[in-house]
Amino acid sequence: MLIDMCAAGIVGLSVLLAVTRSIGRSIWLVAAQSALGALAAVGVGLTLGLGHLVVAGGLAFGAKVIVSPLILRAMLRSTSVSIERHPYVGPRLSLVAAIAIVFAASVATSDLALPASLGGARALPAAIAAMLTGLFLMMSRRKVLSLLIGLLVFENGLALAAFALTYGMPLVVELGILFDVLIVVIVGWVYSRRMLRVVGSLSTDDLRSLRG
Amino acid sequence: MTGSALVAVIVPLLAGAVVWFTPDRMAGPVAFGALAIGGAGALALAIPVLLGDPVRAVDGLVALDALGAFVLLLTVVVTAIAAAGSPAYLAHEAALRPRDRARYWALLLWFVGGLLIIPLFDNLGLVWVAIEATTIVSALLVGFARTPAAIEAAWKYLILGSVGIGFALLGTLLAYASSIQLLGETSDALTWTRLMAVAPGLDPGLVRLAFVFALVGYGTKTGLAPFHTWLPDAHSQAPSPVSALLSGATLTVSLYALARFHLVAIGALGPAFSSTLLVVFGVLSLAVALPFIVAQGDIKRLLAYSSIEHMGLGAMALGFGGPIALAGLVLHLLAHALTKASLFIAGGGLVEHGRSRRIARLSGSLTLSPVDGRAFLGGALLLSGLPPSALFVSEIAILFGGFSVGWGVPAAIAAVLLALTVAGFLFHVGRMSFGAPRIRTKGPRIRAVGRPAPWRAVVLGAPLVAVMALGVWTPEPVATAIARVVAVLGGTGV
Repeated sequence: MLIDMCAAGIVGLSVLLAVTRSIGRSIWLVAAQSALGALAAVGVGLTLGLGHLVVAGGLAFGAKVIVSPLILRAMLRSTSVSIERHPYVGPRLSLVAAIAIVFAASVATSDLALPASLGGARALPAAIAAMLTGLFLMMSRRKVLSLLIGLLVFENGLALAAFALTYGMPLVVELGILFDVLIVVIVGWVYSRRMLRVVGSLSTDDLRSLRG
Repeated sequence: MTGSALVAVIVPLLAGAVVWFTPDRMAGPVAFGALAIGGAGALALAIPVLLGDPVRAVDGLVALDALGAFVLLLTVVVTAIAAAGSPAYLAHEAALRPRDRARYWALLLWFVGGLLIIPLFDNLGLVWVAIEATTIVSALLVGFARTPAAIEAAWKYLILGSVGIGFALLGTLLAYASSIQLLGETSDALTWTRLMAVAPGLDPGLVRLAFVFALVGYGTKTGLAPFHTWLPDAHSQAPSPVSALLSGATLTVSLYALARFHLVAIGALGPAFSSTLLVVFGVLSLAVALPFIVAQGDIKRLLAYSSIEHMGLGAMALGFGGPIALAGLVLHLLAHALTKASLFIAGGGLVEHGRSRRIARLSGSLTLSPVDGRAFLGGALLLSGLPPSALFVSEIAILFGGFSVGWGVPAAIAAVLLALTVAGFLFHVGRMSFGAPRIRTKGPRIRAVGRPAPWRAVVLGAPLVAVMALGVWTPEPVATAIARVVAVLGGTGV
């Protein structure tokens, strides 16, 4: 029950992210999405007595709901661009695309004969939908902040897939994954500052010199 | 013995944190010391495994078979070349600020430290974590020069690398989902040796999906087309010693991770499924690299596309299977890593002397920078697989091995593509080596370079001599080691 609600929330937030042009609001939305993922992990961990899920969920909350959004806000403050003004795909078409992704994900996973023992298997379509929406965000946006947000949505989808398929990875692997997410965001921060200094903007339009 | 060697291997990771705060002047020596300790530990682990028995240190977490030991050995060798080439890079790079030298060495230590621990993990989840972590750290090195192009390359590498390897995580997850049904929900269920033991009983549907996602993910990191788009940018914009590590070590390590999944897939599904995919993407990589090599104008991108070509051939060899092609693969990976590392360092030298990456502007390189120019020409001839290069032997073995196990058509296509690629590659190298020197009278004067340090010839030449020697003579221990790696890759070894 809790898993289903969290999965539904994660998909809903993915669709909202696809139509949101304000980067500040996108940061809130992706933080909320991460929070739902962490909540599902902690909730199921407590119900089924799986300690590793509780720990992983708690740490995911710290890394993806507190630290990453703080860094993204700091990046946002350092630039004057707060709106994804001319994305490659406009909001209306993005909405259509996001809904198409959700349908495609549920159709694609319906054929998959998953073992019935997996309690969270119903969340798999939601996980795939979130991953694909993250990819879509990265392909359709121009600002590097939006790219990082797309990457986090993709990662939320992955985390939900891990949860749906196996109730999470072994704890040591989960910790490694969270560590990697954190350093991606930090390195993204480093490069966005460098980019502001050298190129003078945070738009990928100004990063188009390498060809051939 | 094993314990202290394992501790030594993580020294570079720990030393990175110290070097970050070390004064610029001292950072190099400290880093060299840490790398020497890490390298010695890695060799102490790898060589006995290659000649004797596998190591199983911390059960379920750390294990080293001949395949892992080979990758470890190769990483050490490439690291030695890259580290030896680093002082010259740091001396010539104009854009450095105070503290940058210390940071360069610290990042290099973390990068190498990550590469060294990857083959030690028996747990596929931890292999993923370590590969992703090295990707992120090396992204900081790719953009080290702080030019707009370097920042662009680093962004592409960071984002495409993270997304690509995200798919490898999904593949890992599906492998875990297939194995917990047999092994239970423990970290053992991701341990490669356990997975191999239960492979015939794994759910075929899940394993098939797992391999496809692992192929997309690790294929991205290996530079297989069509997931290769980040590679020419990252490998050409990175500092040359880092390019050497990226092309020589990182690509091989990613192919190694893919090989682990391939072996699980063979165990669960039989060889047809994953082999076919590897051969198809291998041929595609050869075909995609060809036009970019023929029409290339940038010396470092030329080398980068050549890496895509060689990794494509590597994926094909892995797909072919069979003792001949697999022995060819092992020799090929080693010879390619040695040659390409030396070429990147020499090419970086040419770029620093000529102050341009354009092949047309670097003509006359034999006259203008004799040491780097000769090394580049020699390395290019060896890389092209002309005898007596070890790459000649390995390419013949891969193609012949492919023919002998029923992959005649892809092997024939690969032979044609390789021949065309060599022609294009050597055309550019010839232009650069033998063309008339362009002494510019206007614009920025060519910098007076001075004589290169005498040991630079050794750094650049030793790997090339080794590749030549391996082409004509296989010493007994090398033959034993190759046979052991092939046994793991062929599914008959431990």
